[in-house]
Amino acid sequence: MTIRLLIALVTLLGPGMVQAQETYPTRPITVVVPFPPGGIADLTARPLAPALERVLKQPVVVANKAGAAGAVGMQSVAIAKPDGYTLLIGLVSISIIPEVDALFARTPAYTRDQFVGIARLNADPPILVVGVETPWKSVKELVDDLKKRPGEVTYSSSGVYGASHVPMEMFLHAAGGLRMRHLPTTGGAPAMTAVLGGHAAMWASPPAVASPHLKAGKIRALATWGATRLAAFPDVPTMKELGHDVEYYLWAGLFAPKGVPTSVVKALRDATRQAVQDPEFRNAMEKVHTPIAHLGGDEFSAWWERDAQKLAGVIKRIGRIESK
Amino acid sequence: MVETLQNLHLGFSIALTPSVLLYAFAGCVIGTLVGMLPGVGPLAGISLLLPATFGLNATTAIVLLAGIYYGAMYGGSTTSILMRIPGEAASVMTCIDGYEMTKKGRAGPALAIAAVGSYIAGTLSVVGLMFLAPPLASFALRFGPPEYSALLILGLLVLAYMSSGSMPKALVMAALGLLLGMIGIDTMTGFFRFHYGLVELGDGIGVVPVAVGLFGISEILLTAGQPVPPAVHKPRLRELLPSRQEWRDSAAPIGRGTILGFLIGIIPGSAHIISSFVSYALERRLSKRPERFGHGAVEGVAGPESANNSATSGAFVPMLALGVPSGPIPAVMMAAMMVHGISPGPLLIKQQPELFWGFIASMYVGNVVLLILNLPLVGLFVNLLRIPYPFLYPAILAFCVLGVYAVNQSVVDIWIMTAMGALGYLLRKFDFETAPIVLGLVLAPMLEMSFRQSLAMSSGSYAIFFNRPIAATMLFVAVALMLLSLRPLISRGKDWRRSVGLEEKRALREENP
Amino acid sequence: MFTSDRIAGSALVLLAVVTAWETRRLPLGTLHNPGPAYMPLLLALILGSLGLVVALRGGGSPALGALRWPEAGHAVAILAGCAFAALTLERLGYRLTVFVVLAFLLGFVERKRPAVVAAVALGLSFSSYFLFSNLLRVPLPRGPWGL
Repeated sequence: MTIRLLIALVTLLGPGMVQAQETYPTRPITVVVPFPPGGIADLTARPLAPALERVLKQPVVVANKAGAAGAVGMQSVAIAKPDGYTLLIGLVSISIIPEVDALFARTPAYTRDQFVGIARLNADPPILVVGVETPWKSVKELVDDLKKRPGEVTYSSSGVYGASHVPMEMFLHAAGGLRMRHLPTTGGAPAMTAVLGGHAAMWASPPAVASPHLKAGKIRALATWGATRLAAFPDVPTMKELGHDVEYYLWAGLFAPKGVPTSVVKALRDATRQAVQDPEFRNAMEKVHTPIAHLGGDEFSAWWERDAQKLAGVIKRIGRIESK
Repeated sequence: MVETLQNLHLGFSIALTPSVLLYAFAGCVIGTLVGMLPGVGPLAGISLLLPATFGLNATTAIVLLAGIYYGAMYGGSTTSILMRIPGEAASVMTCIDGYEMTKKGRAGPALAIAAVGSYIAGTLSVVGLMFLAPPLASFALRFGPPEYSALLILGLLVLAYMSSGSMPKALVMAALGLLLGMIGIDTMTGFFRFHYGLVELGDGIGVVPVAVGLFGISEILLTAGQPVPPAVHKPRLRELLPSRQEWRDSAAPIGRGTILGFLIGIIPGSAHIISSFVSYALERRLSKRPERFGHGAVEGVAGPESANNSATSGAFVPMLALGVPSGPIPAVMMAAMMVHGISPGPLLIKQQPELFWGFIASMYVGNVVLLILNLPLVGLFVNLLRIPYPFLYPAILAFCVLGVYAVNQSVVDIWIMTAMGALGYLLRKFDFETAPIVLGLVLAPMLEMSFRQSLAMSSGSYAIFFNRPIAATMLFVAVALMLLSLRPLISRGKDWRRSVGLEEKRALREENP
Repeated sequence: MFTSDRIAGSALVLLAVVTAWETRRLPLGTLHNPGPAYMPLLLALILGSLGLVVALRGGGSPALGALRWPEAGHAVAILAGCAFAALTLERLGYRLTVFVVLAFLLGFVERKRPAVVAAVALGLSFSSYFLFSNLLRVPLPRGPWGL
């Protein structure tokens, strides 16, 4: 205890600050997961933490700070001290929430430029899955049927403006402005349950959630939103192959608040590059059917910017869901 | 059948090796410790300790996690009984009669009944899980939003049997709870209701800070400043165990609670929370002397505790048989299993029977270990009450702050707990009951969402509630129950006078405890 | 005249009126497509009418003046302790905050001997931090000097 106190005192003195930066990290790092335990952000963060620990030689603690579809945790990191000891695991929704706030003319919980991207960790396109009792065997049959019966078929999602509402909206728009009923739920599991129970006909599911049900033959896959086919499902065509020009990914990335010293950003980017090679981390991600798709440094920042611009357009098109 | 037994034997042969048993034991100890923190239940316990299991093999890891799960479930009921602090929404009903028993010096029996009830419910529901999982799971899937709405409306009727005081006062508290449940982002449209600039209110007011505030903090506020501090009970060994009468009284509630909880638990969604409320109401309705409820009736501990435990096991049915987690606890358990290479779902039982049966066996083992661990601990826990209240309550307060904060790492939750403590104090001074607020808060978001989801599915037609057989049946039952409960209101009179007399007596007792 | 039920019932009616007024900013929707304000408004109406029933039937309840508040002083002090914890937990860290709250309650409110107060407050705040943060890895905030 006294030793720690001494170290802390030394750190507080002027020259100590410089030294602390050079040898970052000198104390435990907290990775905030803005969602409850059990989701993909949590499942990415938990095995990432020990992998980062092995590289950085300091404890990495995961803290779930859930609320408001992730806005609470993201806001807390956005305003945290930019010293590199508070990091964030963000999902694709990090780009969506500020747009929704703007749509409702609310004070934004945070803005995208309050974050620095460290690295993208994984990126999977969702799969359009339909219940086994539904008649459609291909996207073409589905589109033809939806044209005949506008507004009569229901799709479920993990929530309004959520990560699985947005791709459906993109698809329906690209296929010629089709209309469907929307059944928003509170997460991936209830959205999938609605399709399995026949209460909704389809949804844009993450491959990890769909995988066991596809293998058991409880649902059918019609297409994915990726640029190329998924390695795990080589038979499922992409929307682009089928003539619908949409591309969308569910991704997770590591972020730091803006203002973190460049040396610390570099240290974190290097550490993450090493951590994604960690066999235990890779193994854990394989087991939850979400393979690592690392994209580091400035490449990630540029990619994130393009992705966010695209999503902003979709949110504006959906508009406010008033009583129509 | 024979095959099942062979498989079970296989499962046990894995789960009963000494090293695996050691992990089960460790899991139960850790789980009980974590579960004693208000708010930090099985959910946080499992996810916090998940990384620690990465190095273990799948079976050991699952046994350890099952131990943590059962330990945390049980740890919550300990604080409910001893200190009137509900660890989660489901323990609110245990607080009421459990804490009254503690005040009468019957803390030992209450804890023992809770432990035995949880053990029986846990074991029986694992048996149910084993034999009935596939058929029950496909039935559970037919529960869509309309059926859910009907179930929750039935759940609301429970209120009628929940309170021992005046009916309008109980109903107005429920309305207050329902209204509190409206805070937050509207699931259907994304509008943010009643936020007053606080992002933290996005998912609504958390049930944990409300329950801890209304029950735990308000109790401290009422007791700490009494001119005469509450008497310290020195438990004698004889008083640690339930009397023969208490065993007899608890047997039927444990059985009913187990079945009820299991049935409610298998329905996908978060309906399992209401199982303890429903069980309490059921026991009160069936009791020959309902007036004892709220004043330390052992049935009021036995029923809800069993229902709560078997509901969470029941919630594993959709997860194991279908691969869809219902509610947060199965979601975390499923994630933990997936990290260890077990993917629950229709193929698990067929393709990897050793893992499925290993899991079932580890649940049995976890249950037994917990019972062996906790019955002797009852004596230790009861001795906590020897600490004089001026020392005990600051410590309880510190643990409430710690637990409430740890759930979401949120200071706003501590503020909510503080405000709810003050509200609970005032309400109890004015002779209102606070349990209906918690039930309302739990039900409101689920009820509103499933109701509006149903209308979204049917494009605004109310026929959806009557076309579907399960929903229609439940609504019919609800209407019938409502009419039945209205009957005494119409032929009031004598009854009414007596209830007023009862209230006055209660008020007097509150003043001079 | 001013019985406890009448006062409480009226307060609840007032709360219902305020809530109903607050819902005006949200779209109400229709019976067949209820909007975000529909259920809150409905519940506010129910709360208001039930509050009215409580107030009207509350003539027989004890008078407000008959309520005794012997514990109110302690209650306010304890609530102040909670509020202090909420304000400082993320600034001073878990250990310092809990130490101050315990010292305040034991020393100032309960008038225990200083040595006892210091021992209990110090022991409890550090041992609970050690148990939950170090051993069980519950993330708890740290304050200045790494405390």
